[in-house]
Amino acid sequence: MNTFKGRFYSIIIISYYTGFVVLGMSLLMVVPILTAMVFREWNPFLDFIITMAISTILGLVLIVIGRETRENKSFVQWKHGFVVAALSWIVLMVLCAIPYVLSGHVQSIVDAFFDVMSGFTTTGMVLTQDLDHLSVSLNMWRHMLTFIGGQGMIVLALTFLLKETGGAYIFYVGEAKDIDLVPNVKGTARIIWKISMIYLIVGTIVFWITGIIIGLNPVSAFFNGLFIFASSWSTGGFAPYTQNMMYYHSFSYEIITIIFFILGSLNFGLHYAVWSGNKKELVKNIETQSFLITSFLACAFAVVGLSKLSVYSDAVSMFRRVVYNVLSAHTTTGFGSVYARQFALEWGDFGILIMIVVMLIGGSACSTAGGFKALRVGIIFKSVIADVKRLLSSERNVKVFRFHHIKDQILADQLVKASAMIVICYIIMFSIGTAIGTFYGYPLSSAAFESASITGNVGLSIGIVAPAMPVVLKIYYIIAMYLGRLEFLSVFALIGFIIGGVKKLWTK
Amino acid sequence: MDKIAKVILLTVGLLLLFTIAAIASDTIELNQLVENAAVMDGQTVIVKGEAIGEAMERGDYAWVNINDKTNAMGIWMKSDDAKKINVFGDYKHIGDTVKVTGVFNRACVEHGGDMDIHSDSVIVEAAGYATAETFPFYKMIVAVGLALTALIMGVVYLRQIKK
Repeated sequence: MNTFKGRFYSIIIISYYTGFVVLGMSLLMVVPILTAMVFREWNPFLDFIITMAISTILGLVLIVIGRETRENKSFVQWKHGFVVAALSWIVLMVLCAIPYVLSGHVQSIVDAFFDVMSGFTTTGMVLTQDLDHLSVSLNMWRHMLTFIGGQGMIVLALTFLLKETGGAYIFYVGEAKDIDLVPNVKGTARIIWKISMIYLIVGTIVFWITGIIIGLNPVSAFFNGLFIFASSWSTGGFAPYTQNMMYYHSFSYEIITIIFFILGSLNFGLHYAVWSGNKKELVKNIETQSFLITSFLACAFAVVGLSKLSVYSDAVSMFRRVVYNVLSAHTTTGFGSVYARQFALEWGDFGILIMIVVMLIGGSACSTAGGFKALRVGIIFKSVIADVKRLLSSERNVKVFRFHHIKDQILADQLVKASAMIVICYIIMFSIGTAIGTFYGYPLSSAAFESASITGNVGLSIGIVAPAMPVVLKIYYIIAMYLGRLEFLSVFALIGFIIGGVKKLWTK
Repeated sequence: MDKIAKVILLTVGLLLLFTIAAIASDTIELNQLVENAAVMDGQTVIVKGEAIGEAMERGDYAWVNINDKTNAMGIWMKSDDAKKINVFGDYKHIGDTVKVTGVFNRACVEHGGDMDIHSDSVIVEAAGYATAETFPFYKMIVAVGLALTALIMGVVYLRQIKK
């Protein structure tokens, strides 16, 4: 008799898959452990051994609790996929924060949670203190988190650890990566990782050579190159030094980061199309069109706005300090080539407004970027034009409007509604963040800037994010980064699942 | 006579005290420069901080980043000055403390709008050193204990699923 469909079958399924995700993350800790061994960093070595052991134990316990799922994979439903995605992120946030806490570089456990969530969500905000004295292994861990978070860690764990991935698409969508490059999700996930790994090798070599040219020693040039590539490609924004991009004092280094963070902010489907020889997709795709238009306008407005304030006197400075930061914000990377406080002190309200808008829009769907995505902006914009056209045309004409995204698609009302719903969710979250910021006494423009940066998973700061900021604000920012990255649905499913479970228990 | 000696001593003491205070106030924090960039732009400043990372040589000059615990900033100095710095701060080192006198630029035209300091003089005030890495014994015990537990659980699990 099959007893699987009992009261707790959902919990069993969720436990099983969450266990694999935790186990997957635990295996990845081998990389910082090896790094610590190579550099003889014995304290971080022990920190990672402790974390890896705790993660392995927890992962195995969860898998054992859900062992019945092995024979009952057909019971996996959409809700399980969403809940596993949302729950795994919380469990991993706690586990991955252990090395931060043990390192002594964070002032509280909340700060450690903040930094891990910032890494996973490819936000790039930092509360870790004294970055200039951080071990290479912990730096490796920080940049790995952001790289893995960008590609999708649930996808990575489940497609590589499980032999059968019949229902894996459910988990895949749960992590806001709903694209089918090939008919099966395992193939799609492998393509995503293949694309990323090829770029990782090419990117690291390019940064390595450039690093040596700009005066870094070869070993440090390699690690700086690896870290900066990981941050650029995943549109993360972490860097190994306090000064972020300003540490390198190099135009060439900045140009290379621009290339990689723009590439990282493009849809994986677009990468695959171009790699498969369909180069026209680059021009025809609604997302690239939308991104090109918004980034050009934003850069132009920002340059004009800052010229009026005479902040920078020449074109090179304008490019390196204004265009660079606008593109970094728009792709939701968060690399900064100016000090955080310079935004507040020098950029003026207009400059800040431009940054807020581009940070909220963000990059492409199913990329490493955040924000409410160029695809949704394009769809909503096209639907407005379609509505105007419908108003102006005869009632007897029934027109079907289309847009091009990998393939020609019909602009259906359902799609427009879904896009608008996500955009509204983002705006609500941004507004709440701004309100909390102002409640704690920060100026409106600063509170809005920081809230947009957090909501869009960008990582640029105007100076609010600091260890001394109110705990409530830290917790809200953690929630906002998490919601923004998973695009709400998975988290709503987790909340619904918990409330449903509590209700059931209550009525029994 | 005794009174005169006391007055002289007091005067010299006060003079020294004020001299020290004047020297201390001459050094400006890096964060103050960031906060007051427009006012300080183009002025000669004295900053003091730990040399971090490494020197990046660019021809006859080099970039050295310093951190004074309030912020970090790039110093554009002669390569010969950069060579005076022996230890740079990282995980295993506390870098040399350098005192830099130079011109502060809010948006340096020579360096693409960088906020930096072009040094006139660089003095190594305190030598850096390697930090001894110590860890408590209980940390090693905890790590070994947890690792063994995880290993045993892993082996048991693998045997179970192979059955």
